[in-house]
Amino acid sequence: MNVRLQMSMVFHLDKCIGCHTCSIACKNVWTDRKGAEYMWWNNVETKPGTGYPTRWEDQSKYKGGWESNGNGSVHLRASSKSQTFANIFFNPDLPSIDDYYEPFTYRYQDLFDSPEGPDQPTARPISMITGKPMNIEAGPNWDDDLGGSPIYAENDPNFTDVTPEEKEALFQLERMVFFYLPRICNHCLNPCCVAACPSGAIYKRGEDGIVLINQEACRGWRFCVTACPYKKSFYNWSTGKSEKCILCFPRIETGQAPACFHSCVGRIRYLGGLLYDADRIEEVMQSKEEDLVEAHRGIILDPFDPIVIEAARANGIHSTTIKYLQKSPVYWYVKEWKLALPLHPEFRTLPMLFYVPPLLPIMSTVQDGTVDMSQGGLFAPVEQTRMPVRYLARLFAAGNEGKVRYSLKKMLAVRLNQRMKNVGDIDPKLVSAMMAELDTDAEELDCIYKLTTLASEKERFVIPPSHREEAEEMLQEDLWGAKGEAGFGLLEKPVRGL
Amino acid sequence: MKPNQLFRSVPPVQTWLLATWLLLTWLQASGVAFGQGKPAANPGATLFEKQCYGCHNVGGGKKTGPDLMDVTTHRTRDWLHKFIPSAQGMKNSGDKFAVQLFSEFSPIVMPDQTVTPDQIDQILSLIDELSAKKQSFAPGGGRKLRKPTPKDIPKGRMLFTGETRLRKGGPPCISCHSVQDVAVLGGGTLGPDLTQVNMRRNDADLTGVLKSPVLPTMSKVYLKAPLMDEEVVQLFAYLQDVKGRTPQPTQNSSRFFVLGAFGSLMLLSLMNFTWRGRLRGVRKLLLRERQP
Repeated sequence: MNVRLQMSMVFHLDKCIGCHTCSIACKNVWTDRKGAEYMWWNNVETKPGTGYPTRWEDQSKYKGGWESNGNGSVHLRASSKSQTFANIFFNPDLPSIDDYYEPFTYRYQDLFDSPEGPDQPTARPISMITGKPMNIEAGPNWDDDLGGSPIYAENDPNFTDVTPEEKEALFQLERMVFFYLPRICNHCLNPCCVAACPSGAIYKRGEDGIVLINQEACRGWRFCVTACPYKKSFYNWSTGKSEKCILCFPRIETGQAPACFHSCVGRIRYLGGLLYDADRIEEVMQSKEEDLVEAHRGIILDPFDPIVIEAARANGIHSTTIKYLQKSPVYWYVKEWKLALPLHPEFRTLPMLFYVPPLLPIMSTVQDGTVDMSQGGLFAPVEQTRMPVRYLARLFAAGNEGKVRYSLKKMLAVRLNQRMKNVGDIDPKLVSAMMAELDTDAEELDCIYKLTTLASEKERFVIPPSHREEAEEMLQEDLWGAKGEAGFGLLEKPVRGL
Repeated sequence: MKPNQLFRSVPPVQTWLLATWLLLTWLQASGVAFGQGKPAANPGATLFEKQCYGCHNVGGGKKTGPDLMDVTTHRTRDWLHKFIPSAQGMKNSGDKFAVQLFSEFSPIVMPDQTVTPDQIDQILSLIDELSAKKQSFAPGGGRKLRKPTPKDIPKGRMLFTGETRLRKGGPPCISCHSVQDVAVLGGGTLGPDLTQVNMRRNDADLTGVLKSPVLPTMSKVYLKAPLMDEEVVQLFAYLQDVKGRTPQPTQNSSRFFVLGAFGSLMLLSLMNFTWRGRLRGVRKLLLRERQP
């Protein structure tokens, strides 16, 4: 057993209101720079929709992620080592700026400088790359709230399992339904970007599993851009290097939540550490598609298990850290409650950002001043959810509907349990039957309710202390190593050209 | 070593070296070409060949500059003495004749010559002499080692194309020149096409250029790597042989262009084939599929 620590995340989609505050927070902190205008390390997509970059989930085009060989082993979909070498000066599978969007601003000076005339002056849109006037044709959330859905939502790649009738029903005006999917780098356990980098510039930090691109080693070959199935590695055209979400590690190291977590209005984001068995990664990523979620959960270790704690201590994880891991909301959501699911586990990178799927039944009708409580009303059974389970299963469970259904049912059980306690118009037999079906009890449902709705900041973001003092000591054992590996930043500013 | 020994220790060898150096300096200053046995027959002719012949003829017609036959009777010696070292200055100061000359031979401008007044006198007296006899100037370098034979022609061609290296390491002619029958793409285009060079230059002239090129670009290139006498004969024979064929320099350059364009096209189509599965954009295609 090779126990390692991973800073991991849960996004509760039932709570996301799609306000994009997280995106703006990230933009302002990290990507408000020349060459990074088009990057959104954090973005929020409407589902169904094609997202950012357009149809990023369509790996027949973008060639991201691992592909199973069928005989158990996996390979990068985009290129082998020899192909990478042969294509090093021309990577054929790069998204164009048009697939992201051409970043734009407005020439506000025009409002002041235009001559007096019969018309109102307008600020012309200009490209943030060329500075020239342009026609705005796309944006990072162009299909927000089903905007342009005949083109965008219609072409969502996750509709493969959904029947045509279900799909048609989704787009009927009266029944139209959508939810939001905020995305950041998943800080995967087996990241494709690391595997694909010809320069060896990308690495996964040992202490917390954050995946980073060394700006000094990056040569801008952009094979990480292709390889990442979530398209969360971006090429900066100004510095000639690639960049990605750094999970605000300077904030995490000082015990603060990353900017997007901190600014989240709906408080949908949870952050905490997980222990996992690094020896089993290979085995997990070779699982069959339908077993991927279970195998992924299986690799996460119980922080209460004395054997695990012993192994963690042996691997240099501090004993105080263990206490934080036991309180980690991610551990509870993912492993204990089985509510949170990985996004597109079939890409086989073992993403460490988990999503609680949205339970979207609320299209209640009010009759005579009371909410319709009959079958198909406010607490409709999961089988009748407006967003087909098959669609959610494609998104969060590699097609395994059972996993999604369990998660949705549990959330429904939480609601019914609360309703029963607070209003009393739910048959207790129904609730206990659900508890039996889901193998849960009232206490657990209560805990889920509390962590979902009432959790304070300290409960949502359980960040173990980074123990820099230990890191310092480890460095001092090898002074020459310390000279090479620690420092005050970049020796050379990442600037392109001569 | 004691300090007073320092002066006594000057070895006799060094004294001899000093004496030899002094002698050599004197010999050079007095115009005796050391090691060549005898001084040049006519210093004016040597100078003219070195300094002027690249652009001027005496009696052979216009080259880059005017024919200098009878120039000493047309212009005064004073004017010539002023003009030769500072031709551009004369033009700028508005001398009527200088301006006229420059406009006639535009855009070529006569470079200011670094010659002493004595040397100018030597050159002018040579021109005087030749003009009086109505004789054309024949460069001294025009004499060949031997008569060319038919065997020299293929050897000359090899030298021209660079298949055989020039002994002293000079670049082969083909790098700047072309003649009708070399290679598919012809030779370089920096220098003129040499197919008809024998129509433009007489034999002695051509041999002179081959031996010691006085042309501005060539003289620099071959300054340290002149052609061997044997090579001169072979190249002369070759150029003599290609004489009379019609030069088509325009065809050459267009052929180069066409071949280049064709090559690029082939390369582009090969690249297009190699990366035929490349990502050609997603969003644009989505919109295009939508629009009938």
